[in-house]
Amino acid sequence: MGDSQYSFSLTTFSPSGKLVQIEHALTAVGSGQTSLGIKASNGVVIATEKKLPSILVDEASVQKIQILTPNIGVVYSGMGPDSRVLVRKSRKQAEQYHRLYKEPIPVTQLVRETAAVMQEFTQSGGVRPFGVSLLVAGYDDKGPQLYQVDPSGSYFSWKASAMGKNVSNAKTFLEKRYTDDMELDDAVHTAILTLKEGFEGQISGKNIEIGIIGADKKFRVLTPSEIEDYLQEVE
Amino acid sequence: MSKVAIDMPPKGGFSFDLCKRNDMLVKNGLKMPSFLKTGTTIVGLIFQDGVILGADTRATEGPIVADKNCEKIHYIAPNIYCCGAGTAADTEAVTDMISSQLTLHRYHTGRESRVVTALSLLKSHLFNYQGHVSAALVLGGVDITGPHLHTIYPHGSTDTLPYATMGSGSLAAMAIFESKYREGLTRDEGVELVAEAIRSGIFNDLGSGSNVDICVLTKGHKEYLRNHETPNPRTYVSEKGYSFSKKTEILLTKITPLVEKIEIIEGGDAMEE
Repeated sequence: MGDSQYSFSLTTFSPSGKLVQIEHALTAVGSGQTSLGIKASNGVVIATEKKLPSILVDEASVQKIQILTPNIGVVYSGMGPDSRVLVRKSRKQAEQYHRLYKEPIPVTQLVRETAAVMQEFTQSGGVRPFGVSLLVAGYDDKGPQLYQVDPSGSYFSWKASAMGKNVSNAKTFLEKRYTDDMELDDAVHTAILTLKEGFEGQISGKNIEIGIIGADKKFRVLTPSEIEDYLQEVE
Repeated sequence: MSKVAIDMPPKGGFSFDLCKRNDMLVKNGLKMPSFLKTGTTIVGLIFQDGVILGADTRATEGPIVADKNCEKIHYIAPNIYCCGAGTAADTEAVTDMISSQLTLHRYHTGRESRVVTALSLLKSHLFNYQGHVSAALVLGGVDITGPHLHTIYPHGSTDTLPYATMGSGSLAAMAIFESKYREGLTRDEGVELVAEAIRSGIFNDLGSGSNVDICVLTKGHKEYLRNHETPNPRTYVSEKGYSFSKKTEILLTKITPLVEKIEIIEGGDAMEE
């Protein structure tokens, strides 16, 4: 590929006008575990596979879905350690906003600031882009919102989105199943069915993670037993 | 050294750039504005189920009462509250900052904040500023290790006590505690004792006054009793209202609401790109 001469340095454009490092970062995301999000009329649900490298890993200690503020949560696809750095920075920015303006940070603001951090790492010397895409789910005065942020720092608001290994199948499935007047419970069922589509092995409360936020504006991660209940309803 | 073109971001902390200018102004006869001090009586005690904090509500600026009903019990964490005496801005800013730091800490650890964490953050901040941050605090809360009560002095030293008082009314309040405190008080006994101590400060100290605020902290539960007692109501209000001498000019004010003028242009051209 003619581009490969330009693929080593982040801050150099290739002749076709692309930053090849960002393309590579998106590939890293594309080989990560599937995660998805669905915006319902009265809330948002985000979910991900939790495939651990061995049965010896203590799965209760791993949590992929993280809370950023009481009313905003996030899930990632790609490199876990990179997502931890972003979660830490986002939490700090949300808290600084709250200290200055004494109001909870609006979802769009937090997404914008997180995206700005990711963009910084595509235009600085000696650093590499983050190898994660984030799905940010929140509920504020403007209602339920779902945003996807990419390694380049671009972000979009989605009604439903998926990322990671099984992205094309998952998105097709979501396109068919999504309705605008879906409620939060239906959205959780749809999320589980979408994950089930590409799941290798037996799906259970211990190898997927689901986070929801409803009209009460409190983000929380479901316990494995709650996920089991939803799984039984889906059966 | 030549002037650097790049603007370095401030490293934080105080900037002493204006000190020379201020000295010059004072020498030329400028009277510096005084800051709002809280005078204050603040107390805390440990009872059988947790901690009770109490405070008066008067804020003074020299001999003037600046705020008759200010809030001196500050939120630090859902299970930790802090009473503040000294300069009002200092106590509010320092408790706000530590509250923010503890929120981030809670997200990172996934656990309830401990009182000793708040204590360490507060005392190291105050020590760094060598007593210039004039905040004397009574910190109390209930965490996984039990109920705790601490006092923090502006220079950064701390005490851990079963009952404590701070502020200009601390001697009046401590007199009440020393005679009536005992271990194993019930909630109602504790609240009554704290209210009595604050009332003693209100009536016997000029820097304290107005109402009594109380905060009861127990395991997993908090009760913020704002204006629990108001022993200083405004007693005499003239029913006749106020009358002015005939010489006063009474201006008749007519308020005309502004109406939005909306022009509708028929068949206008679309804006050109």
